[in-house]
Amino acid sequence: MSKRRFEPPRLLLAAASLRRAARVPRDRMLEVAERYREPESLAVTVSKALNAGAEGVLATPSPVLDTALGELGRVVPLYAVLPDLPHTGRHDLNPGRVDPLSTDRVNDGGMGTLWTRISHAWLLARRDIGALVRLRIEAEAGRIRRKALRGVVVAAGITDLALAGEHRIFFERLTSFIHGRFGARAAFETLNLGLLLERLREWEVRPDFVVGPVNPRGVMTKPSLPATLDEMARSQVPVVATQLRATGLVTLDEGARFALDHGALGLAPDLADMDDVGAELTRLRGWREEKVRLEGSRSA
Amino acid sequence: MAAPVLVTRESSRPGGESPRPLKPVRVAVVGLGRAGLAHATVLATIPDCELVGAVDRRGEARARLRGLGYRARPFASQPRMLAALQPDVVFVCGPQHERAAAAREALEAGAAVFVEHPLGVTLEEAEGVVARAAETRRPLACACSLAFTPVFGRAHDLVAAGALGSVRQARSSMFVSRVFDNAHPVHHQPGPIAGGVLAQIAAELLFVLVWTLGRPVEARATSSRMYGNLEDEVHAMMTLAGGAEVGLDCSWSMPGYPEPATVIELEGDNGKMLVSDDGIEADLAIARGGLGAGQTRLRSAELPQIAAFDWGGEATYLMDASFLAWATGGPKVPNQGEFALQVHRVMDALYRSARAGGELQRIEP
Repeated sequence: MSKRRFEPPRLLLAAASLRRAARVPRDRMLEVAERYREPESLAVTVSKALNAGAEGVLATPSPVLDTALGELGRVVPLYAVLPDLPHTGRHDLNPGRVDPLSTDRVNDGGMGTLWTRISHAWLLARRDIGALVRLRIEAEAGRIRRKALRGVVVAAGITDLALAGEHRIFFERLTSFIHGRFGARAAFETLNLGLLLERLREWEVRPDFVVGPVNPRGVMTKPSLPATLDEMARSQVPVVATQLRATGLVTLDEGARFALDHGALGLAPDLADMDDVGAELTRLRGWREEKVRLEGSRSA
Repeated sequence: MAAPVLVTRESSRPGGESPRPLKPVRVAVVGLGRAGLAHATVLATIPDCELVGAVDRRGEARARLRGLGYRARPFASQPRMLAALQPDVVFVCGPQHERAAAAREALEAGAAVFVEHPLGVTLEEAEGVVARAAETRRPLACACSLAFTPVFGRAHDLVAAGALGSVRQARSSMFVSRVFDNAHPVHHQPGPIAGGVLAQIAAELLFVLVWTLGRPVEARATSSRMYGNLEDEVHAMMTLAGGAEVGLDCSWSMPGYPEPATVIELEGDNGKMLVSDDGIEADLAIARGGLGAGQTRLRSAELPQIAAFDWGGEATYLMDASFLAWATGGPKVPNQGEFALQVHRVMDALYRSARAGGELQRIEP
């Protein structure tokens, strides 16, 4: 498989706020949930985003999203954030939610996951996170139209768990698994971008891209803004930047320019970051292209 | 040969003034459920913290930790772990009815102890743990992540600095959408637990109120049960020594709150303040405590975010790292055992009142 086939996306529409998984003020979250309660309104927005140059949607599949994409009558490239993790937090009292890879769901996927269940029986019995995630991704990605699946982005809740455990093999094997099994880009979402880039560099593991917060105010950039920017400069793993607006402290324009200026290859603003998706994505695409042109002329 | 332990790397670029142990510290986690796993994850990222042991009687839970990449030595019982490893610090996160005994045992073994809240199933249990910490002179803390959430920490500092003057009235609430039937696991715990929504969730809000405003002298409460034997909603009113009234409403059965939402409204001689997860809004008559006169809005994201690792936000990292700092000779933490016991006494009074149909209860010092 050629490397070119796994090139990272430059502009995505992120939809974490649909599942109230984006970190934005509660009022904004409720506003977005209300706005996109009907799949039709979401379909219109996705269509505008694609027309404005977005290369796909970065989201965990959900009934609302599936219905919206189905209404468009065209293949919408999906960068699926998997596995679908329930809301977690220290106030969660349900032990099943604690373990993001509860065995309750290991048998999902039917025949599609049979081979993995057999071939990884030993690792599954040892509750190896790599094997458990692989199974969950197989089960969940199996429900996505193969034509639409452009990338599998491992959810931050899992990525950061494996990152804290310094589970190098998890990152290494999952990348090649996603390439081989789905022929799609393999990526990791994280809330600890600087630390993940540092570890990937040390381990010499190269997923197709990573997705994480980048903004000028340092909101959610861990371990710190300078350390994250430093790693972005050193890393050979492309970054697709999220949390561009720093939960509303800066404009999308400021956040996007900052991320691009500091080495982010792609941008993934969330629905909650924009009021006029079509216009704002068009502007972002223009800057990206301008930046690429300028860099091209400089190197020439 | 013993399994190699995970040694957390010395961070090359720690995040600002993030708290950290003052010297290398060896830590064990007891109980590998929700809380234990969260603490293990965070502890593994704190500089100079070495996760040496993990205890859970369930083989599956021990396997899960190893499956995540951790190499901490697994044990099925705490006494064996304490004897074999002699850790500096123990995080007690097992089932609630086992925590007090586990905490006392770890204190007696010479460890500093961090206990997931509540400190005990009963007030007597909590008192026993705090007494043992005093006898052994070891640091003891009880979890309260809300106090380490930057926005609530800043609100505490502003009130302490006199921004509002004397506080006359406070109202507060904590809502989350979690329990909507009696099949919920909270109704099927392996042993007794301290209570329902107040003990399991809103105890953190109660902690922040007592921390920020002082200990109430009397309290009354009513509660309602919708889905089982535990209370699902509590309405409480407390009176501070100076006469100020403090209200608290909480529910874990409120639709529309996939994430917990906490709000505190304060009214003082010098103005008003609204504190929520999203930020602080103040309206002061005259400039005080670092805030100007008139309206001020401080959004959560504008506050320093100094945790070096994000695990559901800043708070868990800051709480754990601050405790390790205290355990290694650093400053005391707000959630130290003695203070957590005061909060437990207030909670106990609220439960007594609710059982007595809302009767006023005195709170002993």
